[in-house]
Amino acid sequence: MTTVISLLDQMGGTLMFLQKILRTIFFKKLKTHEIFEQIWKVTVDSFPTTAMAGFFVGAIMTVQFGLQLKEFGALGYLGALATSGTFREIGPLLIAFMLSGKVGAFTSAELGTMKVTEQIDAVRCLGADPLQEIIVPRFIGIIVASFFLLAAGLAMSVFGGILMGELFAGVNYEEYLRHVPLIVSPISILTGLVKCGTFALVLATICTYQGYTTFGGAKGVGRSVVTTAVTTMICIVVMDWMTSFIGDILLTIIRGYRP
Amino acid sequence: MSIISLQDVTVNFEDHTVLKSIQLEIPAGESFVIVGPSGQGKTTLLKVMAGLVTPQNGKVFVEQKEWITLSRKERLSVLKKVGILFQKNALFDSLTCVQNISFPLRETTELSDWEITKKAEYFLDAVGIPHARDLYPDEISGGMQKRLGIARALALDPEIIFYDDPTAGLDPITSRKIIELILKLKREKGSTIVAITNDMNRAFQMADRIGMVVDQELVITGNPEQTKNHADPRVHQFVRGLLQGPLTATP
Repeated sequence: MTTVISLLDQMGGTLMFLQKILRTIFFKKLKTHEIFEQIWKVTVDSFPTTAMAGFFVGAIMTVQFGLQLKEFGALGYLGALATSGTFREIGPLLIAFMLSGKVGAFTSAELGTMKVTEQIDAVRCLGADPLQEIIVPRFIGIIVASFFLLAAGLAMSVFGGILMGELFAGVNYEEYLRHVPLIVSPISILTGLVKCGTFALVLATICTYQGYTTFGGAKGVGRSVVTTAVTTMICIVVMDWMTSFIGDILLTIIRGYRP
Repeated sequence: MSIISLQDVTVNFEDHTVLKSIQLEIPAGESFVIVGPSGQGKTTLLKVMAGLVTPQNGKVFVEQKEWITLSRKERLSVLKKVGILFQKNALFDSLTCVQNISFPLRETTELSDWEITKKAEYFLDAVGIPHARDLYPDEISGGMQKRLGIARALALDPEIIFYDDPTAGLDPITSRKIIELILKLKREKGSTIVAITNDMNRAFQMADRIGMVVDQELVITGNPEQTKNHADPRVHQFVRGLLQGPLTATP
């Protein structure tokens, strides 16, 4: 019972914190310099890992699809299917997991340390708003950077797919890319973008909230980092299902579209 | 006229009462020092006065304005008159020394970048660390960090300055120098000081009046002479650092 109450308390606290962040974004002056600094920092710091992971995901997808498609003599669709799967599902999920492990944990630890060393209290005492000064730039930074990282990750996954298609299945790059426009529709791209934005929103909210509400010294900071990692992973998977489910219903209702 | 007034203030953390029915009046220009055993609520009391902790009961007035009733704008105008040195300095570790001092000036004044830098350099000079201008807080010693914290607290020329254990972790000579610096700056600016310390020598050096936080209450012990001869056995034991008495040492 206590666990359920604690879970509801955390959920309520996180949603109220998101409301405060959004109010700050819409009604207060944004610190543009700090926001651009955060976007740059998150993008540059996470680029190598995201690009590398993207490359291997593209390669893995190609190998897996290649094995199946070979059976049916449909290797011409290898690139299109691998790219579609990556754009719609694996890409956004991969970026979210990468950011969760790297940026989420880092942000939570950074804010937690600032909280337990009274730096956040000091910001307030020195006449500034900690949400405006510290939280909002990180929040926006994570969300915007995730789209740049998604683009980089997807580009690398296509590259990884082409390379593996050539080496593993003997499909050259022209053949690999030929059917991509046929299967990767604007809806596929939109789905990937919506998922990416949703996951980034979840991650940015959870990691800033956990950091901002840290208490109890170094142990508290450790606890916040672990909670951030676990909670974001679970929430991202749940949100993945939710966006797929709701998206499917919406498209069916609006356009009679069936993916 | 009191510049800080606490009326019947009670603070609870979850089900634990930290401070109970605290009454305090601090006149403008006074140097009031809070002493007491560890974990009794001295920092909480200071944070209540600075508006960082909201009491469950009672009223807190700073410059005749009640903290809880202030709008954000009014709160900001009061905060401009308040400086605070935190126990662990709370310096911004991603900013250099000069940027740490510039921060409140940038946030709350209309000064140009050039004026802000000049003012920050003036305060670095005033606390004796001009050479640390472009260093980060973790690149300077504990004593220098304290000085930097003091400089940042003074940046807005505050009328009230809260010092949370300004000599914690410093050697006796540096401690004495820090207190002398605080008193020198107080004489120059004519500000009101509220300070916490566990070092009775530094308390006597700094205080016009002393209060001891013990057993959830604030015992006003008077000026240094009155404190030395106070009749309360808890004050007597604490001032003399005796092992025998009503106070038990924190393990």
